[in-house]
Amino acid sequence: MATSRQCRGVATLHNTLHLNRLVDMNFSVITTQFWSLVLQGLALGLIYALVSLGYTMVYGVLRLINFANSEVFMIGTFATLYLEIHVLGYATNAKSLHGATLIWTLFVVFIGAMIACAIVAMLVELVAYRRLRARGANRLASLISAIGVSIALLEGMRIITISRPMTTPRLLDKWSFGQFHGANFRIDTMMAIVVPIIIFVALDRFVTKSRLGKSIRAVSMSEENSKLMGININRVITLTFCIGGLTTGAAAFIYTTVYENTVFNVGFNMGIAAFTAAVLGGIGNLRGAFYGGIALGMLEQFASAMLGSQWKAVTVFTVLVVVLLFKPNGLFGEAVQQTRT
Amino acid sequence: MANLTRFNLRDKGAEMWANWSRPVRTIFVLALIGLISLLPFAASWGPTSFLNTPITSFQNVLVYPVGMFILMALGLNIVVGKSGLLDLGYVAFFAIGAYSQGILSTLYGWNTWEIMPFGIGFAMISGVILGLPALRLRGDYLAIITLGFGEIVRIVAINLSVTGGANGIPGIPNPPSILGLHFDLMHPQVYFWLVFTMILLVIWMIRRFTIRRPGRAWEAIRQDEDVAALMGVNTLVYKLWSFVIGAAVGGAAGVLFASKVAVISPDMFKFDVSILILACVVFGGIGNIWGVALGAALLAYLPERIRFISDARQLVFGLVLIIMMNMRPDGLLPRKKREKITEKRAI
Amino acid sequence: MNKKIVSGLAFAAAATLALGVVATSPASAAGKTEVTLAFQGPLTGGDAQLGQDQIPGAIYAIALYNAKNPKVKVNLIKADSQCDGTVAANIAPGVAANKAVIGVIGTSCSGEARNSFPAYKAAGLTMIAPSASAVSLTNPKAPDRGFPIFHRVVAHDGFQAPALARYAAKGVTAPKFYVIDDMTTYGGPLAKGTLPTAKKLGTVVGTDSVPKGTADYTSVASKVKASGANVVIYGGYTTDAAKLFKALRDGGYTGILASGDGTNTSDFPGLAGKAAEGVRLTAADVPFDSILTKAQLADFTKITGVKVPGLYSTTAYNATNIFLDCISKGSLTRSAIQLCVTNGSWIGAGGETIKFDRYGDIIGGAPVGGYLVKNGVIVYDSVA
Repeated sequence: MATSRQCRGVATLHNTLHLNRLVDMNFSVITTQFWSLVLQGLALGLIYALVSLGYTMVYGVLRLINFANSEVFMIGTFATLYLEIHVLGYATNAKSLHGATLIWTLFVVFIGAMIACAIVAMLVELVAYRRLRARGANRLASLISAIGVSIALLEGMRIITISRPMTTPRLLDKWSFGQFHGANFRIDTMMAIVVPIIIFVALDRFVTKSRLGKSIRAVSMSEENSKLMGININRVITLTFCIGGLTTGAAAFIYTTVYENTVFNVGFNMGIAAFTAAVLGGIGNLRGAFYGGIALGMLEQFASAMLGSQWKAVTVFTVLVVVLLFKPNGLFGEAVQQTRT
Repeated sequence: MANLTRFNLRDKGAEMWANWSRPVRTIFVLALIGLISLLPFAASWGPTSFLNTPITSFQNVLVYPVGMFILMALGLNIVVGKSGLLDLGYVAFFAIGAYSQGILSTLYGWNTWEIMPFGIGFAMISGVILGLPALRLRGDYLAIITLGFGEIVRIVAINLSVTGGANGIPGIPNPPSILGLHFDLMHPQVYFWLVFTMILLVIWMIRRFTIRRPGRAWEAIRQDEDVAALMGVNTLVYKLWSFVIGAAVGGAAGVLFASKVAVISPDMFKFDVSILILACVVFGGIGNIWGVALGAALLAYLPERIRFISDARQLVFGLVLIIMMNMRPDGLLPRKKREKITEKRAI
Repeated sequence: MNKKIVSGLAFAAAATLALGVVATSPASAAGKTEVTLAFQGPLTGGDAQLGQDQIPGAIYAIALYNAKNPKVKVNLIKADSQCDGTVAANIAPGVAANKAVIGVIGTSCSGEARNSFPAYKAAGLTMIAPSASAVSLTNPKAPDRGFPIFHRVVAHDGFQAPALARYAAKGVTAPKFYVIDDMTTYGGPLAKGTLPTAKKLGTVVGTDSVPKGTADYTSVASKVKASGANVVIYGGYTTDAAKLFKALRDGGYTGILASGDGTNTSDFPGLAGKAAEGVRLTAADVPFDSILTKAQLADFTKITGVKVPGLYSTTAYNATNIFLDCISKGSLTRSAIQLCVTNGSWIGAGGETIKFDRYGDIIGGAPVGGYLVKNGVIVYDSVA
C-alpha cells in the first residue's frame, strides 16, 4: 500500500519538475502557422468584441457588470437555429443555398437574431436592474439579480433542449477564397471579420455624432449631470441594453454560422471571454472593446498553438492580470474619476 | 401600523438579546447548540421527517452542501460583507484546501489533522499572492481578477499530473477517529458535528475581529475607502487581512470536504460554486453573520429537498434569486440598522 | 417590509410541509418478494444518449424476467449521473443508503464509476458496468480501482485502444497519426493507449489535449493540418468529437477520422453532419439487433419503445441478466449478490462466456468491434 503511494509520489514529483513535459512549448508554430493563427484570432476576436459591447456599454452607464449578457448570447444562437430550422423550414442536412436566396435568408436570420437578443436584453434590464436601481439597492443585489436571470435562462434552456447540443443547417457553403501562407480565407471567416467591423464603425459614429449616442456618453460620464441636463436616464439605459443586445445578437448569428452548433451553456465561456476582452481593452470604452476583443482572440490562438489547448485560458487570464497591473484601466482605458471599490 | 412596516427581524432579535441577562443568554446559546447537534437525527424522527431529502441522504446533505456552504459563506462574508470586496473566485481557496488534503494524504500519508494547518496555510498564501496585486485595483476589476484566479486554479488542477489531472485524486483517507467517534461513510453525523464545530469556531473568530480594530477598519473601508485612507487607516493591509482570513476559512472547508468525499476532481471546483456562495451571502444579508448562515443553509438545503422536481431545481433556484433580490435586496436578515442608515445618501 | 418576508417564510414552510406529504419517501426496506436494482448512468445531459441507449437493454431483461417469475419482482430505479463525477459523488451515497437496492447496473462512464466507489465499497453494493472502460478501474495497483465491488462486461480500454489504432490505420500504407484526447478519465487513457500501437504501425506526428466542452477547435485543426497527418484518433465523447471532426474537415483535412466508443452513439452522425461520413469507430460491443431474432426485436420495441437498440444495449442486457440470474438462485441481499457475481459463470447474449476475474474483468477479455459511419448511420463493420 505504502509503496504504491510512494511510487506515485516520486513519479509525479518527477513530472512536475520537468517543465518541458509539463508545458509542450512549441515555438516552431510561429513560423509555420502564423498567418493562419492571425486570421482565426481576428475572426474569433471580433466575435468576442461584439459580445463584449454588451458588457462594456452597460458598465459605462450603470457601473454594473451585466452578468446576464452571456445568456443573451446563448438565446441569440438558439434564435438563429430556431429561425433557420422551424421558421424557414430548413432541415439539419439541407443543401446549402446560393445567390439571392442565400443573401436574403442570411439577412433575415441575422436581423431576427439581433432583434431577439435586443428584446431579451431589454427584458433583463427590466427584471434584473431597473427595480433595484429605483430603490437604491446596493450593487451586489443587482449583480445577484442578474446572476439569477442568467441561471434562470440557462436552466430554462437546458430543460427545453434536455441538455442536447443542437446543430444548424449549413446554409452557407464554406468555400474558400484562397490560401495565403497557410491562412485559409473561407467565406464564413471573412464574414466573421467584415460584419463586426462594419457594426463597430457604425456604432462608433452613432455614439460620437448622434444625439442619442451623445446622451449615452453623457450618462456614462455622469448620471447626476445628465439628469440635470434633462436627459431621460431610464430611456438611455434601456437604449444601451438594446444596443448591447443587438451587437450580441449579431455575434450569436456569426458564431452559429461558423460553428454550426449550439448548446444551452454556450454562453458561459463566451461571457467570460467577452468580459475579459472588455476589461482588457478598458471597460466602458467602445474602441477598447474592439481592440480588446481582437487582442484576446489572437492571444488565445497563439497560446493554444504554442502551449497546447489546455493552457489557453490560464495564459489569457495571466496576461489580463499583468496588463491590469501596469495599465489599471485596460489597454485603452481613459482615466476614471472614481477609484474606490 | 408604522411600527409594523419598520419591523426588522434582526433588530428585534438584537433588542431581545440585549434584554436578557447573562445566564439566560448562556442557556439560550447552549440550547441552540444542542438542538442543532441533534439535526442529523431529524430525518429519522417522525415529526421532523419531512426534512428528509430524496435520493441523497439527509445526513450527507447536512455536511455537503449545507455545512460546507455555511462555512464558506461565513468566510466570503468577511471579504464581501465586512470589507465590501467583490470576490468572484472564492472556490479557488476551497480547491486549494481540498487538493492539499488530497495530495498530502495520498503522497505522504499525513492525516487530516496534520494537513489542516497546511491547507489553511496554503490558502492564506494564495490569498496574499492574489490579493497583493488585485486589491490595488478598482472594485470591479477585482471581481474579474478573482474570477480568473478561480478558473486558473481549476485549470491548473486539470493540467498537472501531481493533482491527478482531469481524473483528480482518488482514495483520500477519512480523518482518524477522535474519542471513539469514527469519521467514515457510515457515520456522516460525526462529520456534521465536526463541520458544526468548525462553524462555531469561525463565528467566534469573526466576532472577535469585528469588535476590535480590524472590524472597525473594515467597516470604515467598506463605507468610504478614500475617507478611511485619509483618516490614517492602512487600507491595503486591512483589505489584505480580510482577504486572507476569508481564504483561510475557505481552505479549511476544502480540507474537510476532501476528507469526506474521498475522491476529488477539478469539476467539483467550478465557477458555479463561487457564484453559489456569493448568492448565499447576498441572499442571507451581507455583513450579517446569522443572515449569511441562514441564507447559506436555505440555499444549500432547498435544492436538495425539492429534488423530486429533479431537472427544474436549478431553475427554481435562479428564480428564487431574482424574486428575492427584487422583494428584499438587503437579504433575509439585513445589517444592523445604524449601519444601514449611514449608507443612504442625500439626493 | 418585514411582513413580506415573514409571509414569505411562512409560505416556504407551508410549501415544504406540503412537499413532504406529496414527495416520495425513501424506499422501504426490501421485503422478501420485491428487490430493486439501480441503473446509474447519464440519462440527461450532453452525454445522455449513452445512458439512453443502454437502459432499454436493462428494462427489457427485467421485463422478461418479471414475466417468468411472479414470485420475486424486480424493480429498476434510475440514478441519473449525467456522466459527471461530481454528480455521481453526490448520488452514490444516496443510492447506497437506499436499503432496497441490492445491485447497481452501472456505471456507464469511467469518471463516475471512480467517484461512486467510496460509497458503494462502504455499502458492499455490487456494480456490473455495461460500458465503463478505463483500465485503472480494475487495475490491482491503481488507487482508484473498484475492487471488490466493481465488475464490467466490456473489454476495457487496454484492449480497445490498440484495436482503435489498428482499425483506424486499416488500409493506410504509411499512417501518420495525430492523437487528441479530451482530458477525461476515459478519453485521456484511451488516446494515450493507442500510441504504442500507432508507433508500431507508422509514425505519431503530433498529440494534443483539448478539455471536454471546448467550443472552438480551429487551432487544433490548423495544427493537425500543419503536421501533415493522415490518421486522426480522438479519445473522447460524441459532442466534442463532432465539433473536432467538423473543424478538421472544414479546415481542409482529408485523412481518416477515428474515435472510440464514447463517440459511438446514435446521435453522432446528426451532430457531425457531413464530417461524420466515413468516420471509423470502435466499441467493445456487438449490436443487439444482430443478436435478437425478429420476434424478439418486436418484443423489445414493445417493451421499451425503442425501435433500433443503441450501442451497449447488449452489455446492459448482459449485466442485468447476471443480477437476475443471481436473484433467481435466491441471492436477495447485497452480500449474497456479491458472492454470486464474483463466483458465477454465465453465457452472454452473443454466446460468449462471462466469468469475472478477481478484479472485475471478464476472463479472456471480450472482442472489440469496428464500426463505420455510412450515409449518416453507424453500421457494424468487422472485428477491429
